[in-house]
Amino acid sequence: MDNKVVIIDYGIGNILSVKQGFQKIDANVIVSSNIKIIETATHIVLPGVGAYENGMNALNQLNLTDAVIKIANKGVPLLGICLGMQMLLDESDEFGVTKGLGLIPGRVENFPLSILDHEPIKVPQINWHELVPSQSKNNWNNSLLKNHKQNDSVYFVHSFVANPSDEKHKLAEYICGGNRITAVIEKDNIWGCQFHPEKSGATGLNILKNFTSL
Amino acid sequence: MKRVRLIARLDIKGENLIKGIHLEGLRVVGLPSDYANKYYHQGADELIFMDTVASLYGRNHLGDIIKSVAEDIFIPMTVGGGIRSVENAIEILRLGADKVAVNTAAVMRPNLISEISNALGSQALVVSIEAKKISSDKWEIYTDNGRESTGIDLVDWLTEVESLGAGEILLTSVDKEGTRKGFDLELIKTASNTTSIPIIASGGMGKYKDLQDAVNEAGADAIAMADILHFNRLTFASIREQSINSKIVIRKHCG
Amino acid sequence: MNKKNNITEKYNLPSTVKFCKRCVISNQRPRIVFDDEGVCSACRFADHKKNVINWKDREKELSELCDRHRSNDDSYDVIVPGSGGKDSNYVAHMLREKYNMHPLVVTWAPHIYTDIGKKNLTSLVDSGFDNILITPNGEVHKKLTKAAFLEMGDPFQPFIFGQYSAPFRVAIQYKIPLVFYGEDGEVEYGGAMEHADRASLEYDHFIAVRFSNIFPSSFEKFGIKKSELDKYGLSIQELNSIKDLGIKQYFFSYYHKWIPQENYYYAVEKTGFEANPVRNQGTFSKYASLDDQLDGFHYYLSYIKFGLGRCTADAAHEIRDGHITRDEATALVKKYDGEFPIKYYQEFLKYCDITEEEFNEVVDSWRGENIWKFQNNEWILKNPVWLEK
Repeated sequence: MDNKVVIIDYGIGNILSVKQGFQKIDANVIVSSNIKIIETATHIVLPGVGAYENGMNALNQLNLTDAVIKIANKGVPLLGICLGMQMLLDESDEFGVTKGLGLIPGRVENFPLSILDHEPIKVPQINWHELVPSQSKNNWNNSLLKNHKQNDSVYFVHSFVANPSDEKHKLAEYICGGNRITAVIEKDNIWGCQFHPEKSGATGLNILKNFTSL
Repeated sequence: MKRVRLIARLDIKGENLIKGIHLEGLRVVGLPSDYANKYYHQGADELIFMDTVASLYGRNHLGDIIKSVAEDIFIPMTVGGGIRSVENAIEILRLGADKVAVNTAAVMRPNLISEISNALGSQALVVSIEAKKISSDKWEIYTDNGRESTGIDLVDWLTEVESLGAGEILLTSVDKEGTRKGFDLELIKTASNTTSIPIIASGGMGKYKDLQDAVNEAGADAIAMADILHFNRLTFASIREQSINSKIVIRKHCG
Repeated sequence: MNKKNNITEKYNLPSTVKFCKRCVISNQRPRIVFDDEGVCSACRFADHKKNVINWKDREKELSELCDRHRSNDDSYDVIVPGSGGKDSNYVAHMLREKYNMHPLVVTWAPHIYTDIGKKNLTSLVDSGFDNILITPNGEVHKKLTKAAFLEMGDPFQPFIFGQYSAPFRVAIQYKIPLVFYGEDGEVEYGGAMEHADRASLEYDHFIAVRFSNIFPSSFEKFGIKKSELDKYGLSIQELNSIKDLGIKQYFFSYYHKWIPQENYYYAVEKTGFEANPVRNQGTFSKYASLDDQLDGFHYYLSYIKFGLGRCTADAAHEIRDGHITRDEATALVKKYDGEFPIKYYQEFLKYCDITEEEFNEVVDSWRGENIWKFQNNEWILKNPVWLEK
């Protein structure tokens, strides 16, 4: 199958690592901010790190917001990573309300407080965590997390949590301070990982590989 | 059950991985990329690369090393040493690092912390603190890889850097580092009581129990190891095994 | 007021300043030699250490020497002059542990102890060594230090002589023929290749070189009696005892490859040595020469006379030991060399009973003609190593 993975370069995030992750799994990958090139992709990746407002502004300024929405609506597989995942939702509470791409209904909000007797949640949450299926899923067959071993940790670093309004859009979560925190979201051809698959060792690289076969 | 990250710390000078005692007398250990790859494959959670001569030359020279290891290493990497501006930080991140660590430049100009934090997000910013004990419950901040004293109190500085937007603290005990006599537990405890951002304890690990004490007694969120790994006194596999028995939760590694 | 000393003549220096191609020492260091390739003799000696000397043989020689002198009743059989510093700690500990000797560490007190210096001497003693601390008459020592500063441009000469003669006096008293020093400075740092294979010095050398005319009698005008001056050297009777008892000064560096940084590691691990918490003024290092508040002034005068300060000296041997590159050394020298030892400046002035004006006059009278120029109301180096083409 002739894949063409395009990583959207909107000036935010450690794009090189994402690219190298895809290269390691032998995907045909390029980095681009050019709408024409993005439109030829078989798979799109929206990376991102840092503040929600900065991310959306950067995307808007490069006139990529509409392009991304259009391509996603066409059915091209789209993977959002970390901030990129959060931007898939409607809006974020971070430092005042900012509008997102609105591709998956939901909001980005503060971490919940930890439940009594559980380890306090430190923010930013910087840790390796194990994924558990969300309450609406029984398994991960035929999904982004196909063959992912539940006991393999992946790397999280975030200060805000993506909360899809529809339970069925949550694919995986992790447990922190006694709470369930959204880790992977999905809706049709759109996926989002709160963690960094390109920073989660071999386990993460497998997830990238799964994405290229979706 | 406390969740902890295990980090390999590589101090670099020129092309070499080095190690000293009390941040002095720097011995060459080998090639940074060899050790970085080794630790990645052994299951390190993160890597920290510190350029120990950066402040001498006025800039960070780890770009080439990071660029080359980033092709094969897929865990988070922090780079520090000589980072003086937002531009420096952006450059380092573009070459493949995930976080930058600042010390000397931040002490000289604390606003650097908020500048980097605003531009890249606090999760990309580690403030590196070198602390020397000056009395039973007071520590002084040092800069320039442990060479210059500043007269600044640890608690004051921690409070300030947190408010300015630091994401994590890399806390090195100048007294303990390289000695293999254990961490400065009082230092870590004081720091974790003062600030709510994650603390990476560095300096002094000699045996597994030191890690256990740093986490369970003193509240460290992550442990940075150098001497113990570089000189093969302990491996990640052994650390993982012993962690299972001591109520410390670490990353599950599938190899 | 002070007559300007002619450094070039006094120390027999070449007038054109040149730097070694490999390390950062210049030809203004007295007695150093540069070869046709522009490499200094100390660097050549470093090559010799690495490539020519058979260290196994040398160690064997030391074993045999120790076998001949080891006491069989646990009495002292070797004197190690030292003050709790990394080098003498290394020597004393090695002699005790590896060679089963019974060292007596003899310390000549610093002018004014630093806290870290005191701590390190205590650590040494606590790691199992007997120590004799000899403190000279404070009144005399201060006058003599002042005299040496004014007349010789080096306040440390009296200390150096006292430190050198005192262990021999103890050796005579205890009838111990072995006095073990660390490195042979002339060879390690001066590259005196003609001495590259000398393990020891004895009577002939002492009488001809080391203890002849140590201080000019002009020093007496500072209110110091001749008998007091003489105590800093060795008398004829003492020198004869040295000859009769076969007392020799041995260099540990002859028997074991001398690497100061390795001594540091050894001293930390085995004798509880601690480096200075901050870097020493005038250099980047933290592990050398820590115990005297006033030693910064010895290095500072060297910088004034020869353009070679403490940092240059530290950096040069680290290059030769393979620990830093010349580029890094140059950057270090640019950053730290000649840094004024302000930390204990007031203590120094008080100790020598001189004013700041007098201090500055004396310093200026010792400026090397080949290296300084007065420009824009300040003295700057004419040709520092970092501007070399």
